[in-house]
Amino acid sequence: MLRYIGQRFLQYLLIIFIANSLTFLLPRIIPGDPIREALQVKAAAAGRQNVDIQAWVAAYTEKFGFDQPLWKQYVNFWRDLLRLDFGYSLFDYPATVMSKISAAIPWTLGFMSLAIVIAFIVGTTLGALLGWPNSPQILQSLVPVLMVISAIPFYLFGLALIYIFGVELRLLPTGGGADPTLIMRWDLKTIGNLLEHAILPALALVLYGIGSWALGMRATMVTVLGEDYITFAQAKGLPDRYIFARYGVRNALLPQVTGLAISFGLILGSGVLIESIFNYPGIGSLIFSAINSKDYFVINGTVAIMVFTASTALLIVDILYPLIDPRIRVGK
Amino acid sequence: MATSRRPWRLDGRLNPSLMWGAAVLVFMILVSTIGPLLLRDKWARVGAVEPNSPPTGQYVLGTDSQGRDVFTTTILAIPATLRLGLIAGVISVVFGLVLGLVAGFFGGAADWLIRTFSDVLMAIPALAFMILIVSRMNRPNIVIVAVIVGFLSWSGTARGIRAMVLTIRERSYTAVARANGETEAEVLFREVMPNLLPLMLASFISAVTMGIYTVMALEVLGLGNNAIPTLGMMIFWSQRFSSVLRGMWWWWSPPIVAIGLIFIGLYLLSSGLDRFISPAIPQFRRRSRSTLALDPAPVGTLVLATDAQAVLQVKNLHVVYETPGGAVRAVSDVSFTLAPGERMGLIGESGSGKTTMATAVMRLSRPPARIVSGQILLSGRDLLAMSEDELRKLRLKELAFMPQAAMNSLNPVVRVGPQIKDAIEVHEAKLTGQVLDARVADILTRVGLRPEIASRFPHQLSGGMKQRVAIAIAIVLNPKIIIADEPTSALDVVVQQQVMGTLSRLQRELGAAVLLIGHDMGLIAQFADTIGVLYAGRLVERGRVSDVLDNPLHPYTRMLIDSLPTLDAKRELTGISGLPPALANLPPGCAFHPRCPFVHDRCRREVPAIQSSASGRDVACHLYPQHTALPPIHHIDGLATLPQTNGAAAGPASLSGASSASVGAAQPQREVRP
Repeated sequence: MLRYIGQRFLQYLLIIFIANSLTFLLPRIIPGDPIREALQVKAAAAGRQNVDIQAWVAAYTEKFGFDQPLWKQYVNFWRDLLRLDFGYSLFDYPATVMSKISAAIPWTLGFMSLAIVIAFIVGTTLGALLGWPNSPQILQSLVPVLMVISAIPFYLFGLALIYIFGVELRLLPTGGGADPTLIMRWDLKTIGNLLEHAILPALALVLYGIGSWALGMRATMVTVLGEDYITFAQAKGLPDRYIFARYGVRNALLPQVTGLAISFGLILGSGVLIESIFNYPGIGSLIFSAINSKDYFVINGTVAIMVFTASTALLIVDILYPLIDPRIRVGK
Repeated sequence: MATSRRPWRLDGRLNPSLMWGAAVLVFMILVSTIGPLLLRDKWARVGAVEPNSPPTGQYVLGTDSQGRDVFTTTILAIPATLRLGLIAGVISVVFGLVLGLVAGFFGGAADWLIRTFSDVLMAIPALAFMILIVSRMNRPNIVIVAVIVGFLSWSGTARGIRAMVLTIRERSYTAVARANGETEAEVLFREVMPNLLPLMLASFISAVTMGIYTVMALEVLGLGNNAIPTLGMMIFWSQRFSSVLRGMWWWWSPPIVAIGLIFIGLYLLSSGLDRFISPAIPQFRRRSRSTLALDPAPVGTLVLATDAQAVLQVKNLHVVYETPGGAVRAVSDVSFTLAPGERMGLIGESGSGKTTMATAVMRLSRPPARIVSGQILLSGRDLLAMSEDELRKLRLKELAFMPQAAMNSLNPVVRVGPQIKDAIEVHEAKLTGQVLDARVADILTRVGLRPEIASRFPHQLSGGMKQRVAIAIAIVLNPKIIIADEPTSALDVVVQQQVMGTLSRLQRELGAAVLLIGHDMGLIAQFADTIGVLYAGRLVERGRVSDVLDNPLHPYTRMLIDSLPTLDAKRELTGISGLPPALANLPPGCAFHPRCPFVHDRCRREVPAIQSSASGRDVACHLYPQHTALPPIHHIDGLATLPQTNGAAAGPASLSGASSASVGAAQPQREVRP
């Protein structure tokens, strides 16, 4: 068992190493001079036409260490990644990339966890019922609806949701993370305001999530219910509800829980589009504005942290999986 | 693999997902080929028409803020979007195919390298990575972006193909081809490629989806190319000009509908292909209410134990499988009785309806199996007329079931102890934890297991131990009847003997009646008092074990016995020519007639009724009552023939010895006659 974990661990270290090295390497092999481009945007934004771009670029290049040999930059890259230090924002110098990321992360984590948990619970429950032949027939008519909503990219729902609830009905704010006038305090007003802004972006994710969790659970449930242990449980005279919960759902839940863990691992990256659509002040909007201002250091830093969290989460899921599935515990 | 090579049909029915998916995509492709011919493409250029106009007669879907006609732009954007998906899909599949084949065929370092790299790609959030690359491009060339997406998404295809190559390589026909002197490459193209096609098609669709999705996401984030109007760019523009907030629904909604249609089409297509590629995934099926018109069945008069003393009476039981091609009879007109403490063996080839009957007697038949008619009387009460709840209370307490595959019959994620306890608890009044623990320990000891087993998970037990746990559960409430469906078929011969010994001892202690179902004549003969022979869903012979073995009445029974080896006399083994008939396509008359050496005209016309003799023998055969015993069968070259008929009458393709027909031949070390 320890040997198995050890092997998996080494393998994953290698994968994390390669993945993160790629985030260092790729931007550097693509031709172009990022600092010059960023500074041109910055100069244009500041309304200055006759800046000595050449000197400016040279100063920045030295400042950020781009004049150093590649191997040294690479060593620095890893040192910075492990210290979570991604340097300065090119556009908002001297703000650090990490200060921008730390300001954005709570927003993303907040509305995304809300959405993931709600979607998981509702979707899995629905899927379990859909896979159970004794549940009401009317439920089955939901299947095509679930297929449609899980097939369409979820951020597109966002546009429709803004239009319906924000523009036509004027029930909810059309974007942002909180009212600009809100003074953040630990009180009901703040929480209410934050929730109000999180509802629509979360709803777009929840709709999509319910569809895919439900279809996944339904398929597993149908497979599980075909197993011999279900027939034997019926032969034991156990009540249907008990078989459903203890023999059906308990077994069908395993792949779902793995999926849940993976969704949490991808949490930083998967909200990018919905956030940029809702102008929600999380990681997604950070990357969106960095793209527009050609702030490469912010882009690189954000992507590096996304790749790092996603690959690490996969490792953790893989190592923890034996805890929920007893069959793996002694195997291998 | 599916038996049918036509993915648009599934077990005889249209594959609805595939058909709908294809229909939607064909529609989109038609729109993107015909549309541009009918429209003024000038209208899709910036400043061509009056901006910000809501839908009018002239501009069906209005115009955008940059002076483009939304309808024209949308229609022209569809082929642009589809093309990008196609590029990504083709590259991903070609790349995945090559790498998957290399990994699967050459193995070793190449395999390790490819697998590690595909793990890396799977660990990277694709969109984040694409942002990193594309944000560095000046005026991103969106075609190149699609190409990169293709290169990033090969890992799924490669994995699937590698796994498939490994499976196919192990299959015997590849080995045969190699033995015939073909090189690896020849084997690869001739034998492996055709098997990979459906998988590649599915991979292709998922790569196309992935490609469209990623390119569109980049476009929405502002990493698209303003010069190429795609659906993603339309959404980006409509966002940039705040069309949602300005209430310009006619601008942002058409591209969403178009994208939605494309994705739904792709989704349906891939889920339709999934059903075809892995037909093992059971599809949810509504309970069919169709009824089967039964032929007037010959009325049997089978009485062995008198009805009054029987614990179990099965009367004229009919079970069918509802298939799209119509109802298939799996059990036809089976009647028998079981006296208290009787050990009855029921023997039949695979496909003869044994397991269907066992589950039907428990009333556990699941769709597509359905009990059509008959009676199952448990001490006089008809199981088939009971409510689910009444029935549930009788199960295990009076009528217990010992499953065929004990390895799969225990809940894999629950320890053994709780699985015994829940059975006790549901039938008996509240018991304390200690009492329950004692009961569990006691029953485990009785089946020859250590009580500590209770805290183990099923996968920690050997096959024999799992079978004993299943026996423990079956007898824990001292049932009157035990239905044992091939309880030892998955075990090796030594363990089989031990488990049967335990079952035999427990049966004596409990005094329960046992219906032992199996295909192993030797095993059943050792255990049972009486024996029934099932052929094509009908009970063709029944009697005491010694009578049936010494003096079989039905030709099928005779031939089954002759196919068994004995220890005392070395002789040529004989098989039964032909194969058991497919239940969906039973021959008219007696189902055995194509394989029967005594076949005559009446057998081809008329289903023989069960006839009982005074000595407690039952047989369903037209030889009786004209004959009093079965005439001798002559064996020529392992085939049974009548002296006066020629060999051809015995049936087509002869499979002696090795055929599935030689029941029990797999256990040559067992003697038939006890």
